[in-house]
Amino acid sequence: MAEYILRRIFQLIIVFFLFLVFSYLLFNAIPGNAFSSLLLNPALPPDAYEKVLETFGLDKPLSERLQLYIVNFFKGDFGYSYKYFPKTPIELIAERLPRTLMLFSIVNIVAFYTGFFIGKVLAWRRGSKAETWITVTSVFSYTVFYPWFALMMLWVFGYKLGWLPIGKFLYPEKWYDAPFDSDVVFTSMIKFTVVISIIQFLAYIASRGIESLSFRRNIRLSSLIVIFIGSYFYWNQGQALIEKPYAADIAYHMILPVMVVTVVAFAGTALLTRTTMMEVLKEDYILTARAKGISQKRIRDRHAARTALLPVVTSFIFTIVTIIDGSVLTEQIFSWPGMGQLLLQSVLEEDIPVAMATFSFVGIFALIAHLLADISYSYLDPRIRIKSQG
Amino acid sequence: MDKNLDQNLQKELRREAIKRNWLLFKQSKLGMIGLYIVIFFLFLALLQPFLFITGIWNKGVYDPVVGYEAIKDTLLVVECPNEYPTEKYESYTDCPSQGEITVKQLYMAPGVEVGDMYETFIQPAPPSKRHLLGTDSLGRDVFSQIMEGSQVAFILGLLSATLGVGISTILGTIAAFFGGKIDAYLMRQSDLILMLPSLPLLFIISAFAELKVWHLAVVLGVLGGLGGSVITIKSQALQVKVKPFVDSARITGGSNMKILFSHVLPNVAPLALLFMVFSVTGAIASESVLSFLGLLNIDMSWGIMIYLSQTDGFIFSGMRYWWLILPAGLAVTFLAGGFYLVGRGLDDVFNPRLRKR
Repeated sequence: MAEYILRRIFQLIIVFFLFLVFSYLLFNAIPGNAFSSLLLNPALPPDAYEKVLETFGLDKPLSERLQLYIVNFFKGDFGYSYKYFPKTPIELIAERLPRTLMLFSIVNIVAFYTGFFIGKVLAWRRGSKAETWITVTSVFSYTVFYPWFALMMLWVFGYKLGWLPIGKFLYPEKWYDAPFDSDVVFTSMIKFTVVISIIQFLAYIASRGIESLSFRRNIRLSSLIVIFIGSYFYWNQGQALIEKPYAADIAYHMILPVMVVTVVAFAGTALLTRTTMMEVLKEDYILTARAKGISQKRIRDRHAARTALLPVVTSFIFTIVTIIDGSVLTEQIFSWPGMGQLLLQSVLEEDIPVAMATFSFVGIFALIAHLLADISYSYLDPRIRIKSQG
Repeated sequence: MDKNLDQNLQKELRREAIKRNWLLFKQSKLGMIGLYIVIFFLFLALLQPFLFITGIWNKGVYDPVVGYEAIKDTLLVVECPNEYPTEKYESYTDCPSQGEITVKQLYMAPGVEVGDMYETFIQPAPPSKRHLLGTDSLGRDVFSQIMEGSQVAFILGLLSATLGVGISTILGTIAAFFGGKIDAYLMRQSDLILMLPSLPLLFIISAFAELKVWHLAVVLGVLGGLGGSVITIKSQALQVKVKPFVDSARITGGSNMKILFSHVLPNVAPLALLFMVFSVTGAIASESVLSFLGLLNIDMSWGIMIYLSQTDGFIFSGMRYWWLILPAGLAVTFLAGGFYLVGRGLDDVFNPRLRKR
């Protein structure tokens, strides 16, 4: 096992190296460079363009630049952004990442819970009219053309009804005399969300072993109430009290994107749960449970749903990996200045240091997740033979 | 004689299997709905060339890209109030309403006063008998554009899905069958592809190459074929590889190639077919997203229709220009959904544990 992991890590480093070289060459293959627009300005002296290129080292041949970039990358130096000059890519990512994580962690948690619940019920009520209609709705929201749907929702809620803001993540006029910038608020909001979900998760785990269904439900309900009361007290004391109006502003801007992405994202989980749950319901031990005379709800929740949860959780982990990739379109439509927009802008403006840094950030994230998934698979399922994976 | 009989028997068996699978597929209601949707769009895609060839449609009027027809209409000249809401208009978006035109828009036409009837050519013309779904802001027939878009979607979806699934099936089976270094190489290669963020990658490619439908199909097919689906197909092939009939084929002296192509591949094929149907959905969505962002060099597609309706500002004008907003978006959604439902139906056929009985 240890040898396998070591070999995998060795391969991982090679793959990452290839990834760096490949993406660097790819960015340089785009015609023009980040400063081409300077040539269009007649007010600039003719040598200004060359001077800028020299400052950023773009006049060197490609092979030398590639070499320099990779050596510096492994030293931990990612260069400076071309467009936001004195800032480094790391600073930019540190500024943008909390915004994306805040938005998409909420979306993923909500989508996972609703999706799993709906999928469970769908498989259980197979053949009923409700099942057909809910399946049709989920397939619609699974395959709906996402940008179109998001724009329609923007039109309905932001424009026609005027309930929710149309874009951006805050009202700038409310932030003129704010004693801190938005990242501080984002960080404390993320902390708050994480603490809440940990408490909820612990309550879920603790109540798992309880036999009586109604008692278990009451415990879970009371944990929710505790969370509500606790969050009320949290937001009314000390630092949080000052941050409260600003956090509320951000939360208000988050409602529409969260709603739209959740509607699109829950369907994937629901349909997957439906399939796995149907497979599980054919197993012999479900028949045994029925023969023992256990109540239907118990069979559904404790015998079938638990087994069906495994592949769903796996796909959930892979969804988390693709958060940044998937945020590109959403952030573009809702003009939410997060990682996705940074990625897209840096690619379109050929801001190579930032684009490389974001690409490698996404890449490292994906590689490590795949490695962990593979290792845990071979650990959990002895049928997957490590030897055959080389 | 004996051989002939054997062949006939095989043919008969194959026909039986297809018939049985078809009966199973027919049982899944949603799968049949999906099939009807796909057939409907296929019909639309084929109908357009037919209408042009038989001359029912004039190319000058109905061509989806360069066709033009202006619909003459008489409009009532009105003056918009300065403050809303008034009795007639709720907000400034309602003025001028259907069949009306403001005086301000007519500053080039002297002598027109409020209350006159003004004859003009309207450009996004509402649906009429001549143009079933109206015309867009350049006077082109929207229904014809929808048909053209479904041709693009079918060509792109089927081509890229076939290519992608072909590549991933062959590579996945080879990886599972030979194992060792080949497997390690192929798996790391798909890791590499999965690491690249897909949408930005397509942006970069579209920046240095002018992408037409065929090119995009090849790019999407290759990216899809080398990426995650290799891993899934490989895991399926690994399960086939340890089945007893593969061992018995080896004992009776079958060569590696023979076992690979006549025993392992046919057993992976159902999953590959399933993958193909699902990846059509993905290809159609990717094309629409890229066209929607204005990055493709395609004359007309559903994504471009939505892109145009957005850049011309119709998408925020609400349902007044519904024929510019709804048909394209719904067409993408329904065709992708149709293929998805067909995939669901096939899943029921190939995976016995999903069946009702």
